[in-house]
Order: sequence, then C-alpha cells, then structure tokens
Amino acid sequence: MNDYESALFKDKQIGFLIYLGAEAIMFTVLFATYLIFTPAEQGPHPTEVFKAVSVILSSFFLLSSSGTLIAAEKGLAKNNQRKFITWFAITLLFAMIFLGLEIHEFYTFVSDGYGISVNVFMSSFYVLVGLHAAHVAFGIGWMIVLFIHYMRKIPMSLFREKHKIFSYYWHFVDVIWVVIILLVYLPYLL
Amino acid sequence: MKKLGLLLSLLLLTGCNIAVLEPKSETASDQAFLIVFSFWLMMIVVLTVFVLFVRFVYKYRYTDNKKDFMPKDVKGNKKLEATWIILPILLLAVLAVPTIAITYEQSPVAGDQSDHEGTHIYVTAQQFSWTFEHETGKEVQNDLVIPEGESIILHLNSKDVIHSFWVPHLGGKVDVLPGEELVYVIENPEIGTYQGKCAEYCGIQHAKMTFEANVVSIEDYERYVNED
Amino acid sequence: MDIPLFGDTLFVPTDVMAAWVFTILMAIPIGLFILKKKKVGLIFDYVKTTNHRKIGTLYILFGIVYFFRAGVDALFIRAQLAFPNNDFWVFQGEKYNEVFTTHGTLMIFFVAMPLLLGLMNVVVPLQIGARDLAFPFLNAVGFWLFFAGSVFFNVSFFINMTPEIGWTGYAPLSTEQFTPGAGTDFYVFGLQISGLGTIFTALNLIVTIIRHRAPGMKMTRMPLFAWATLITSLLIIIAFSVLAIALYLLMFDRQFGTGFFSGSEGDPVFWQHLFWIFGHPEVYILALPAFGVFSDIISTFSKKVIFGYPIMVISIALIGFLGFMVWAHHMFTVGLGPMANTFFAITTMAIAVPTGIKVFNWLFTIRGGVVRFTTPMLFALGFIPSFVMGGVTGVMLSVSAANFQFHDTHFVVAHFHYVIIASTIFGIFAGLYYWYPKITGFVLGEKLGRWHFWTFLIGFHLTFFPMHITGLEGVPRRVYTYTEADGIFLLNFTSTIGAFLMGISMLFLVWNVYKTHTNGKKVGNDPWDGRTLEWYVPSPAPVQTFDPMPIVKEIDPLWYTKLENRSLRTTTSTRPAPIETESFIPISMAMALFLLSLGLTFSLYWLAIVGGIGVLGLFIVRSFTDEREHVYGKEDSYE
Ligand code: HEA
Ligand code: HEA
Ligand SMILES: [Cu+2]
Repeated sequence: MNDYESALFKDKQIGFLIYLGAEAIMFTVLFATYLIFTPAEQGPHPTEVFKAVSVILSSFFLLSSSGTLIAAEKGLAKNNQRKFITWFAITLLFAMIFLGLEIHEFYTFVSDGYGISVNVFMSSFYVLVGLHAAHVAFGIGWMIVLFIHYMRKIPMSLFREKHKIFSYYWHFVDVIWVVIILLVYLPYLL
Repeated sequence: MKKLGLLLSLLLLTGCNIAVLEPKSETASDQAFLIVFSFWLMMIVVLTVFVLFVRFVYKYRYTDNKKDFMPKDVKGNKKLEATWIILPILLLAVLAVPTIAITYEQSPVAGDQSDHEGTHIYVTAQQFSWTFEHETGKEVQNDLVIPEGESIILHLNSKDVIHSFWVPHLGGKVDVLPGEELVYVIENPEIGTYQGKCAEYCGIQHAKMTFEANVVSIEDYERYVNED
Repeated sequence: MDIPLFGDTLFVPTDVMAAWVFTILMAIPIGLFILKKKKVGLIFDYVKTTNHRKIGTLYILFGIVYFFRAGVDALFIRAQLAFPNNDFWVFQGEKYNEVFTTHGTLMIFFVAMPLLLGLMNVVVPLQIGARDLAFPFLNAVGFWLFFAGSVFFNVSFFINMTPEIGWTGYAPLSTEQFTPGAGTDFYVFGLQISGLGTIFTALNLIVTIIRHRAPGMKMTRMPLFAWATLITSLLIIIAFSVLAIALYLLMFDRQFGTGFFSGSEGDPVFWQHLFWIFGHPEVYILALPAFGVFSDIISTFSKKVIFGYPIMVISIALIGFLGFMVWAHHMFTVGLGPMANTFFAITTMAIAVPTGIKVFNWLFTIRGGVVRFTTPMLFALGFIPSFVMGGVTGVMLSVSAANFQFHDTHFVVAHFHYVIIASTIFGIFAGLYYWYPKITGFVLGEKLGRWHFWTFLIGFHLTFFPMHITGLEGVPRRVYTYTEADGIFLLNFTSTIGAFLMGISMLFLVWNVYKTHTNGKKVGNDPWDGRTLEWYVPSPAPVQTFDPMPIVKEIDPLWYTKLENRSLRTTTSTRPAPIETESFIPISMAMALFLLSLGLTFSLYWLAIVGGIGVLGLFIVRSFTDEREHVYGKEDSYE
C-alpha cells in the first residue's frame, strides 16, 4: 500500500470500527432485553429448550472460522494464492455450516412448539440470536462477493483493504457469538 | 423586563385559580412548596443572566465611533469561571435537599412494597373511564369519594393501556399501569369537590377521561360507603 | 367527505382531501417552473451528487419544507385550542391526536435533525479544512435514507393512516392490540430508516473531523461548531442505536406476535426506558450543535475570541456525557421508587452546571467586544435569555416530587418549546443567515431578516409563555378541548395569536429568500468579516475547496491573518482528498428500503422480499462500481 492508499484505508478502518461500535450498542440492548425477560414466568424454560450438542457444534464452526480467516489473511499477506484461497474457502464453508446448524436449531425449536411468540424468553432469544444469524448470512454473501473481486483481480491493495474490513466484521460477529454463548446458553446448560 | 411585565399582567388576567398552587391536601402542599421554592431560586438565575445580558449588550453595542476600535482578546479568566461553576452547584445543593426529602416521602411504589395505614381505594382505569372501589366493596364509576383528614391509599391498576391518575388540588399524578399495581398516598385532603383527569395520553378520547373527586367528612364517608 | 368509488363509498376526511388538492396545486407550478427554466438537469445533478455542500443543501431544503408542514400542524393545534369547546375543522378526538403526533415527530426527526445535519454537512468540512466528508458516497446514502424515511412517514397522512401515538410512541398504546391500523407502522419504519441514515452521517462526520483537518488544525484549534458536531455525532451513534433496537422490538411486537411491551409478561415501562435512553440524549443532540453555531456567531460579531475556549469544549463533552444518565426524569411518575427518582433528579440538576458555564462564557465573550446586530447575531442574542428561561423550567421539572404535578401538562410543553425553539430553531436560523453565502453566494436581506427575527421572537414568547400558567392550572397535554369553567381561555387564545404570529414571521423568511435570489448581489469570500476557515474559500463553496491547502497555526486562523495583514500560508502536499463520485445507487437503496417497509406495513411479503433483495443487490452493485478501483493499485499487484 502506498501513502495515498493507506490514508484512505485508515479513514475507512476508523469509520467501520465506529459502525461496529454502533452495532455493539444495538446488541448490548438486545442482550439486556434477553437478561430482563429470561427466564419467563410462564411457558418454556431455557433448560428445556436449549441443547448443548447443537450449541457446541455450531460454536466450533463459527469460532474456528475466525482462525481460518486469519490464516487466509496470512496467505494474502505473503501473496500465496493457494493458501489464501484454501483458507478463505474453508472459512466460507464453516460459516455456511454454522448457518445451517442455526437454521436447523431454529427449525427444531419451532417444530417442538417453541415459536417466537410462545413467551418473552423465546421472543428475546429469537430477536437476538436471529439478528446474529442474519449477520452471519450477510457475511456469507460478503465473502462470496469478495471472492469474486479476488478472481476479477481488482488492484491488490484495494482487495487487501476490502478483505481487512471484512475480517473486522467477521471477528465482530464472532465476538458477539461468544457473548451469546456466555449470556444466553451457558447459564442454562451448566 | 418586558417579559416580566407580561408575566405579571398575565397572572392578573387569569385571577388566581392556579390549581396546583392552591393545594387542598398535605401531599399537594409539599409539592406546591417545592414549586414555589424552586421558582424563586430559578428567578435568581434568570435575573442574574438578564441583568448581565442587558448590560453587556447595551454597553458594548456597535456605535459609529467604535468603527475602528479593536477589542482586546480575552482568552478566559480562571476566577470568573470558577465562580460560575461553584455558585450554581451551591444553588442546586440548596434545591436538592428538599427535593430529596419530599421525593422519598411521596414517590409512588409498587403494590407489594407498601404497608401504609389508612383508607384504601382501589382505582381501575380503562379506556376511557375510572372505577373506584372502596373497602366495603362499593364500586363507583368516575366519581371518587374520600374522607377528609386521612391517609388515602390509592391502589392503581389499568385494564388496557397506561393512564395517569391526577387530581391537581390533591396531589401530583401517578401512572396507572397494566399488569403492575402502583400505590400512591394522598395525605390529609380537605373537604371540597375537585376535578380529576387522566394525564397520560391513552387513546382517542383521552381528553374526556375525567372524574370528580369529592372529599367529605369522615361520617359522610362512612355513610357513603355503606349505602348502595 | 364520502367519495363514491366503484359503487362503494370511501370515507376521506376533508383535511386529507385538502392536502391532496394543495399538493397537486403546488406540484403543477413547481413542475412548470422547473421545465421552463430547464432545471431538470440540475435536479439530476443533485440526485446523484456526493458533494458535501450539495447534500447539505438538500438536507436543509427538505428540513425547511417539513418545518412548514409541521408548523401548519401546530397552527391546527392552536386553532383547535383557541376557544373552549371548540370544533375547529376536523381536529377533535382522533384527528387531534394524529396532528400532535405528526407535529412532534416531524419537528424532532424531520425538521431539527436534517437542518442541523445539513448545516454540519455544509460547514464543518469548510471550517476544518477538509475537502469533503470522509465518505462522500456514504454521505449520499445517509441523506437518501433520511429522505426515504421522511417520505414514508408523510405518506401515511395522505392515505389517512396517520399514527396517533404521540411522538414518544408509548406502549402498550403503540402495540397491535390498541392501534391495529397501519399508522403506527409508518411511525416505526419511518424512524427506523431515517435513523439508520443519521447513524451513517454521524459516523462520517466523526471520521472527517478526526482525520481530515488541515495541517496544523489541531483539535484544540477547531471552531466550537466543529467540536459540537463531533460530540453530537458520538451521541447520535449511541442514542440512535438504542432507538433502532427499540423500534426493532416494537416491530416484532406489532408484526410477529411477540410481547415485549404488552401482555401479561411484557413490560410497557421497558419501552419508556429504551425510548428515553434515546430520547434524552436526542434533546442534547438538538441543542449542542446550536450551541456551537452560537459560539461561532457570538465570537464573530463581538469581534472577540470566544471566552474560555477549553472549558467550553469540556462543558460540551460533559453535557453529552451527563445526557446519558438522566433519562428517567421523564418517568418520575411510573413508580421507579424513591431511590431512582432522587438519583435521576440529582443528575438532571447537574446538567445545569455545564450549561450555565456556556451561558456565562457567551456573556463574557460579548463583554468588552463590539456587538454588531446582524441577523445571525440577533438570533444568537435572542437565544440567551429565552433559552435560560426554558432551562430553568427544566430544572424545576427535575425536582422530582414537584414533577408529579408538572408532568404531562402544558408546563412541560412550555419548557421544551422554550429550549428547543430558543436553541435549535434559533440556532438553525442563525446558522442559515450566517452561512447562506457559503451555500448560495448570496447574503440574505438584513431588513427582512430583522422583521423575521422580531416577529418570531415575540410570537414565540406569546405562544409558549402562557402555557407555563395553564399547565399549573391543571391542563394536561395532548387534550383537544377544555371547558369555559377551566378559566384558561384568555391564555390559550394568547398562545394561538402567538403561533400565528410565528407563522407570519416565517413568511418574511420566504419573502427574503425570494427577494435575495431575484435581485441580490453575489458576495465575496468573507461577507461577515469572519474568523474561521470557511470564510477563506469562495462563496458558494466550490466543489474543489482548499486548493492549495492552508496551514493553520492558531485558533480563528483567518482572523489573525487579517488583523496582522498577512496571508495564510498554504501547502500543496496534503493528505488525499475523499474521492467524489456521482451515483444513483444511494437513492435506489433508499427506495428499496422504502418498498421493504411498505411491504412489511401492509403484510405484502412479496413486496418486502423484493425490497430486501433490492437492497442487497445494490450492495453488490456498489461493490462492483467502487470508485477506488480507479485510483488504487498503482504500485503492487497480484503475484
Ligand atoms: C433542546 C432540547 C432540550 C433541552 C436543551 C432540555 C434541557 C433540559 N431539560 Fe428538557 N425536555 C425536552 C427538551 C430539552 N430539554 C423535551 C423535548 C422534553 C419533553 C419530551 C416529551 O415528553 O414529549 C423535555 C422534558 C423534560 C423533563 C420531563 C418533564 C416531564 O415530562 O415531566 C425534564 C425533567 O427533569 C427536563 C429537564 C431538563 C433540564 C434540567 C434541562 C437542562 O439541560 C437545562 C439546563 C439549562 C439551564 C439551567 C439554563 C442555563 C444555566 C445557567 C444560567 C446556570 C445557572 C443555573 C442553575 C444553577 C439552575 N426536560
Ligand atoms: C423542533 C421541535 C418543535 C418545534 C419547532 C415546534 C414548534 C411549535 N409547536 Fe410544538 N411540539 C413538539 C416539537 C416542536 N414544536 C413536540 C415534540 C411536541 C410533543 C408532541 C407530542 O405530544 O407527542 C409538540 C407539541 C406541541 C403542542 C402541544 C400539543 C398537545 O400536547 O396538546 C403545541 C400546542 O400549542 C405545539 C405548538 C407549537 C407551535 C405553535 C410551534 C411553532 O413554533 C411553529 C411555527 C411554524 C409555523 C407556524 C409554520 C410556518 C409558516 C407557515 C406555514 C406560513 C403560513 C402562515 C400562516 C397561514 C399564518 N407543539
Ligand atoms: Cu430529558
């Protein structure tokens, strides 16, 4: 990156981090909502609803996808095309598996009769975890677009920049997931 | 100054039916005291600012002989700035003391945290009317009758949206929530008939959700609640 | 009015009819004017622009339009309240509730916010020596989102589905059960879309101020308007994010059967917490930029540097910080208990201290100076006593036990119109008169400006002063009628006269703008003998500003060069300017979100999906048309 590019990149970096700050506040409010309303006075209790297996499995894929993304970035830094593509594809795959597991989880919840309007606990669960899942889905689309840009061979410095911004997003989504584990699932799985 | 004159003339025009400042219960008197007390404290502030303002603007206004006058830059003044940090804090401290005292006494609390002794009234609000139930089980709509000189303990509940119970002469308002009972106490009301109203916007006919509050003697009250 | 329609009769209230007729009648001459003057190209130019001055101009333009719209609502309110037992037109019961809801919502979100954001957009880059906002494209997106949200909100009136929940949207009244119509959804989505745009613009301003200052323009040398913008933007990021989630939850309650704010388990007070955690900072979001405007104007027209600059900055920051700790002063009567009530009473009082610091610093800036009574300065001077009157009633309101009496009465209405009009609206007027040359190249007429100021000031006090008294006489807000026995006729009537006087005063502004543009003369860079960098560039500000870039070495850099008869040093080696482009993507994105919201409002899920796909698709299009592609990659490449 030359001076010109790195100045513009720094702008974008700060801007995007501020945006993530705004998102962090949004999630904080949703976490607060969840903590206020859970467990609910009536209807299903979290211990009946949550299944440790699905949480552990999906966490495995999402959390390791942060690692694989870092590996991809290393490949990019070294201009190692094979390494980059491999790790990036794995990241994408893991994200898709996570999303699949998430959809499956929601699906089993709903078919067990734990829909969004059953009680306030379920409602606050869905609006929070659902918003997170939507972020993952958006991230998947973003990765695909990024990948196309890579194949299009846009200027390398621009690609690095786009990749970096995406990685902030992805790590952020991961951190939110960690907090979800800690606040949403863990207290009722232990 | 012009505004002050305006204030006075308006006060004269309206006579003296400022409900909130004619308290008819101990609760409302305490509140009226706070209003008047804070008003005069604030008048100090307003007058200080007005005086400085008028003086500075008048004295330093542009006139033709100041055409080429270049004022000296004043970057600040530690002492002056400290003055207008400290004096307001003192003034606010003076205001805070009675505020805290009366707030502690009067704040409405959730139903299960109240153990006050007195005459209990169960108030139920719904769009757009009030129901008052007395301890004997007597239920009346839009007509509140309470005994003078007692502690009146209002248990407030709403059947639908949020309303607010307010009799300006007898005390401040309390919200009436669905799903949670609030308790508010009116101390020592005086005999008379007062207007009551809903003070939280609650829907189409919010404006018409009024009631009458009659404070009667204890004997009259006994008779009232036992007749049907 | 009943309209026969395919054998059915459709009920349309006369006010809606009138609005349609009025809109169409207005659209025809405006359309003809545009065609005749061949201005279609100009419109397209503005639609696809990403330039900060043009976008700022758009914000201001629509802010003013909505000010008239919301002001006419206010006149309806006042006409209905002019007499006891009045039946003015249709504005009783439901219609009255609709009209104060639209008045409040429009004024706060679609008048005050865009006008302030517009001024920031135009002025802040010029003040700090930036060539544009850091992200020009995002700036356009922010504006069009605001625009889409405001149009969405306004559409509701034309199809007779106006929200009637107050600007505060208190649950459970705002839930499906009690307002089943689409009205509330228009409120929810209108605010959601425009709020998102506001977050983007705030973020953009922060990055601009942090990263794009001219060489030597240290933070400690920035004009106070730039400082106020920075802190306000931080408040926006936090407050509007909370609002976004509050609306998100309300949307779920209304559309997808959840029960956060109603029902046996939900908590209506939770909505109030969320709303006021947003709402109170919001009122400082409205006030702080105005404080910034006044600081600059008072300093300029007193010919003196601002008194106590460091503490002015600190007090802005303190107000912003304390603003997040006082929200429950709107909720003293909901039974939070004595502990919470006293806590919030004390924190609220504390805000008076930093605000007072500012007031006295302004006064002492005037002291010893030479005060020129130009129109911007008149508004700034009118602000000081008026705002203090509103501020001290705020402190009276914060006395929690006394607030039990004040709450939800016209006393509160008086308080907030005093503070909002004196700070925000006066600030906007002052800023408009002051920076008008930077937008258009003209200075607005001083004589009509004075008429505007004095009639507005008098009308304003006449309208709102009596409300203190009616409030204490026991008149709740949001009621459409009263009886003779209430004894408030004269006071109410005075208010109404005042409101119409304000209306008339706005006509002076309209006349002034018209006159200035028909026979005004263009002015040079520096019509006011200004102090800060915006007066260094030509009027109106060109698209390529600051070429070459000035080097700043003190506060009020322009002033001291004029004083010492030297010129600003400049340099040609500067950081890269933000990349301007032209694009229809921002407005298309806003339109897609509009469709998405429309679909959700009327449960037309196919439309919602079309809108959603549209938004995502446009993200992709955007990504493939990134203007950076052409300027990047001069050095490194793929292996
Ligand atoms: C620009 C907007 C703005 C501003 C700046 C303020 C400023 C303040 N507001 Fe206001 N307020 C609103 C807009 C604003 N408000 C709105 C819109 C509502 C109603 C919302 C609704 O319900 O619809 C409201 C409602 C509102 C309430 C709730 C009323 C109720 O519903 O019961 C309260 C209660 O405490 C309050 C307090 C204050 C205080 C203490 C300040 C302080 O910041 C004021 C500080 C300023 C001064 C005090 C003057 C200058 C100071 C000095 C000269 C120093 C010396 C002074 C002292 C020592 C006192 N406001
Ligand atoms: C930025 C904020 C802002 C501004 C500037 C105003 C400006 C005005 N407001 Fe508003 N107001 C609010 C924010 C604001 N208001 C809010 C938040 C509420 C609470 C809503 C709620 O309860 O939910 C409220 C509520 C409110 C009420 C209380 C309603 C009630 O509770 O029953 C009243 C009553 O008088 C009122 C009046 C006015 C008037 C007369 C003006 C005037 O200043 C308006 C001046 C402008 C014009 C008059 C229009 C311009 C000129 C023309 C159109 C030319 C034509 C002229 C003629 C034909 C004469 N407002
Ligand atoms: Cu507030």
